[in-house]
Amino acid sequence: MQAPGTAARGAARRFVARPEFSTLLILVVMFVLTAVLQQNFFEIKSIARNINAFTPLILITMGQAVIILAGGIDLSAGTALSLFTCVLTTVMRKADPWSGALALVVVFAVAMAVGIINGIGIGYLRIPPVIVTFATSFIWLGAALFLRPTPGGEAVEWFKAFYNVGAIEGVTDSFLKRFTDVIPPALLLVVIGCLFWAVVSKTRTGRYIYAVGSSNDSAYESGIDTARVQLRACLVNSTFILLAALFFVGQNQSGDARMGDPLTLRAIAAAVVGGIALTGGRGSVYFALVGALILSFVNKIIFFANISSAYQTLVGGAIVILAIAASQAYTLSNRRAR
Amino acid sequence: MHGVPCRGGSGVKVLEATGIRKRFGGVVALSNGNLACNAGRITGLLGANGSGKSTISKIIAGVYHADAGQIRYKNKVVRYRTPNEARQNGIAMVFQNLSLVPDLTVWQNIVLGGEQSWGPFLNDARAKEIAREILDTLMPGLDLNRMLSELSPGEMQIVEIAKAIAARPKLLILDEPTAALEKAQVNSLFKFLRGLVKNKVAVVFTSHRLWEVMEICDDVTVFRNGENVAQIDFKKDGKDPERIVNHITGVSRTRAGHRARGRCRGRRFLHVKGLRYGETLKDVSFHLRKGEILGIGGLSGQGQHELMLALAGAYPTSTCTATIDGRRIRLNRPATAIRNGMLLVPGDRQLEGLFLKHSLFTNLVFPKLGLPRQPLFTPVARSREECAKAIDVLSIKVQNLETPVRTLSGGNQQKVVIGKWLSFDASVLLLADPAKGVDVGAKRDLYDFIHRQVREKKMSVILYASDNEELIQHCNRLMIMYEGQIVATLEGADITDDAIVATSMRVR
Repeated sequence: MQAPGTAARGAARRFVARPEFSTLLILVVMFVLTAVLQQNFFEIKSIARNINAFTPLILITMGQAVIILAGGIDLSAGTALSLFTCVLTTVMRKADPWSGALALVVVFAVAMAVGIINGIGIGYLRIPPVIVTFATSFIWLGAALFLRPTPGGEAVEWFKAFYNVGAIEGVTDSFLKRFTDVIPPALLLVVIGCLFWAVVSKTRTGRYIYAVGSSNDSAYESGIDTARVQLRACLVNSTFILLAALFFVGQNQSGDARMGDPLTLRAIAAAVVGGIALTGGRGSVYFALVGALILSFVNKIIFFANISSAYQTLVGGAIVILAIAASQAYTLSNRRAR
Repeated sequence: MHGVPCRGGSGVKVLEATGIRKRFGGVVALSNGNLACNAGRITGLLGANGSGKSTISKIIAGVYHADAGQIRYKNKVVRYRTPNEARQNGIAMVFQNLSLVPDLTVWQNIVLGGEQSWGPFLNDARAKEIAREILDTLMPGLDLNRMLSELSPGEMQIVEIAKAIAARPKLLILDEPTAALEKAQVNSLFKFLRGLVKNKVAVVFTSHRLWEVMEICDDVTVFRNGENVAQIDFKKDGKDPERIVNHITGVSRTRAGHRARGRCRGRRFLHVKGLRYGETLKDVSFHLRKGEILGIGGLSGQGQHELMLALAGAYPTSTCTATIDGRRIRLNRPATAIRNGMLLVPGDRQLEGLFLKHSLFTNLVFPKLGLPRQPLFTPVARSREECAKAIDVLSIKVQNLETPVRTLSGGNQQKVVIGKWLSFDASVLLLADPAKGVDVGAKRDLYDFIHRQVREKKMSVILYASDNEELIQHCNRLMIMYEGQIVATLEGADITDDAIVATSMRVR
């Protein structure tokens, strides 16, 4: 004999008590602060600019989240991103549009190789993921420096489509251009990433990633090929990094062996802010995306708050710690009240 | 009577393992293991910890690989390399250490490893149906969508069994499935097993609780020191618990008898009033006498475990008024509890009581390091002497002090946990299910030792045990808990199985 509203209210109360709710709350706070500080925040141009600035971290964070969910961690994500940009800009010749297609094939093969090497180390050789990916990060860096000792290289014109269709020579006032003015290609890349994970998470691999990360032994005893699951998680991660690499080369038309370095740890931090447990098995890839958004807004806030550049990094770190602590305290207080 | 080969009873022989050998490093776990299972029969597997009964189960289920011997399954010689391969061929095992994943839901766990799918995509609707169907008979009240990590140990065990059944096995191996269950759950499990047996499934059932084996099994195979030493068909040979225990221990001993212990006349020295912790402990008050063994009983998961931990100072947010010898004490930090002589022997020794990878010496010496007025450097020679003495007093079977605790048997591990506290002046020893997963012989040693300590040192004990038999045998007084409260206190001759069950279920 429940009143009709009671069930819905119960569900709402349960949702409010979940840790995800505090993450969303922090996102709203950061969003509002940024909107207040950045005067032209709601203009279409600056929305597009923000999306472009946030996209690489979002994609790398989602990939990282998959690895962490599977019980690993990827310290080589940043250098893998650098390597992919170097591969793309080495294969491509500006004059030959077809070289772009060849570059896509080659970089896809490299991305899968990167995933397989990490996956074999983590899954089949059972080396601790921190060690494997720390080691491979130097291999990717070495390979990237071999291809591109200094930033540069060339890219085909149509590669700009991954960044801004309007910037491509020859594309004038078409529908496509107007469309991408409102919805930038970077946003589409993020949507593709989300769809990709939506598909994977509906397969056995998606379920098993959680199982293996939550308890490797139990998963193995349940007949799951845990090594293969970890390998596949590495491949999913590589795919996300590849999407980020396409965006970078589209934006900069060049490759850089060191550009990805700062992203690795930022992505791990973003995943944690988004509620991914570093112990594995707990959290949501979509909320890792939210975590990346929060971290990106923090950067914006610091930039627009006129903090002297000497203190920007320090303040940024402090805000992140405060956000995580607030979220933890919120979750704990709810658990106690229960 | 060593190495008697198994004879099958009635029904079709589903599996026959002969001459199985297995060694782990230098330790021989199985020297000559033989086991036969028949369709439509429940075979009991008995033996002390380390007797090889778990090892042979795991070899049959494909977890370990035999060094020698052969397994015939459905009249074919088989050799499964993974648990999955065995399961696909109809052999499912319920693991003693749960094979469940904490961060998935109940239904996701039940179908784990055997998910239904549409092409590459999971068919979750069908999976939920299957889980619902099985749980409807095993445990109707359980919510399928709950996270496994939120369940009680008993509920987890039920999910584990449901998971094994979801694979529709021809041979079901249950390795101590009832250790975490309360009596009502055991009864519904037995009802379910009888249903399975009617459908021509062969069942292997392992338990330390003899009465359960006597109730559910058609025949038993006893293991000792890596071999099967006896096979008893209950219908032909009758049910004689004495005989089975003698086979298990290998020594014929006269039974101690089930007489309850009398009242304790010691001085009341510990008073706890109004102990509260969240939703699990609601206003618990009691006193404890010098030299008394105070039992805590009731259905599993009624706050007994939390009460033990709260007394050991494990919960910073628990509140109570507690006095020892009239002196107020706070029970919010383990260090304070230890200083007041309240020492916990935790229920899960592997998780909470020991550093498994470290040596016996490290484990025994560790708790002393935190005491006030310790020398800057540990006096190793003197400490080793003390440890050797502790090992002697507890009769821990071990070669030397450097042996990693991980390699000891369950009973010996439990002795090490108690040994940690030997050099302390314990006023209250808190024992949380100390005999769980410990074999019959080691259990007897353990309780003999505890009684000796109580007699000689005038120590008091608070004992929580999931097995009523232990409570009846060892307690002067028994408190029954229900939903975080003490609902009844039994004393002296009133402590009987009937009274415990009746008060636990709130019949009286």
